[in-house]
Amino acid sequence: MAEQPTMQVNIVAADHPVWSGEAVSAVIPASEGDMGILPNHEPVLTVIKQGKLTVVEPGGERHLCEVSDGFISFDSNKLTVAVERAHNVKRTTPDE
Amino acid sequence: MGSQLALKSRIASTGSLEKIFNAQEMIASSHIARARDVALNAKPYTDAIFDAVQALVAHTSIDHPIVKKNGDNPRVAVLALTSDRGMAGPYTSSIIRETESLLARLDEKGKQPELYVYGRRGVTYYKYRNRDIAGTWEGDTDQPGVEVAEAISNALMEAYMKPASQGGVSELYIVFTEFINMVVQKVRVLRMLPVQVVLGDQQTVAAAVGDTTDGIDGVDGADGADKPATALYAFEPSVDKVLDAILPKYIQSRIHECLLTAAASETASRQNAMHTATDNARSLIDELTRKLNASRQASITQELTEIIGSADALNKKEE
Repeated sequence: MAEQPTMQVNIVAADHPVWSGEAVSAVIPASEGDMGILPNHEPVLTVIKQGKLTVVEPGGERHLCEVSDGFISFDSNKLTVAVERAHNVKRTTPDE
Repeated sequence: MGSQLALKSRIASTGSLEKIFNAQEMIASSHIARARDVALNAKPYTDAIFDAVQALVAHTSIDHPIVKKNGDNPRVAVLALTSDRGMAGPYTSSIIRETESLLARLDEKGKQPELYVYGRRGVTYYKYRNRDIAGTWEGDTDQPGVEVAEAISNALMEAYMKPASQGGVSELYIVFTEFINMVVQKVRVLRMLPVQVVLGDQQTVAAAVGDTTDGIDGVDGADGADKPATALYAFEPSVDKVLDAILPKYIQSRIHECLLTAAASETASRQNAMHTATDNARSLIDELTRKLNASRQASITQELTEIIGSADALNKKEE
């Protein structure tokens, strides 16, 4: 597990930072359908629609986050999610 | 005695005013910490949008209405950010003064300014004078949320994107108070639309491309250094869609930023005003107390003179 490549994830809402940390993968609700992002993805700038954003941490823990209306940018192994509103950050361990 | 009573009651009322000023000052200083937090919390988002706009500018040639002037439409929008409550010293009045002079300048240039006002004080000022206001917003000027920023930017963007024939505007100016520090706040006029900052970025980024070793340091510290300015972004679903989505958000976050710094300035100027008022009330109380003491002493002296005088007269009779 420790060998897994990770990326830096930063989720920010318009009025507060929501979450940031290392992650092994993320699924974002892109405007044309969900989009999975793994470390070292090519640089991308995507509009996202309302939906659920999932981030998987190195330990297998999942973060679930309700987001609406924003965009993500991936660059230099850093994923930035900027959204108007984000709430219900849920956390689930791999056992659940 | 009458004047003593009057002085006493003035001292009492000044004393209670002093308490109010002092309380307002305390409230304002506690709000400043919160305003700072709010501004800090909003910063990551603003930065993210700014980076994205930079990336867009670097990789595409933007041909969006937001960045270019649409024709020679004389109508322009002016947004004045005032406060909801008073007790903030010259905060609202200096905004109004600056707005008036901006409106006069625009009139001179042959433009037709339309006024948008945020803050109850400003709205009341213009309504009382029967001025035409294109749009108003009230509430929460000392802690503006995203909702307000969204409402304002939506309304202004709508006015901006409308064709000139339907009453659209070609430019947007914002009059707000910049927070420099606790003591100094400066009224500023910012031309928000068409976006001019993007042009500035383009030059920075262009410079970075030309000289990848030095130029980048200026862009964004360590992050910028990792990021070759030529990194090829994939835009999903398409460049135009991304532009359409991000540029309005950029405007909104810029407006939110203005609202936040205006809120910080309002709080700081309220704290300053209340501090001065407290000091004034205290010196007034001191002065009144001196007057009261002098007048009490005068009446005591007078009584003594009367007693001594009459005692002398009695003594003289006995002799």
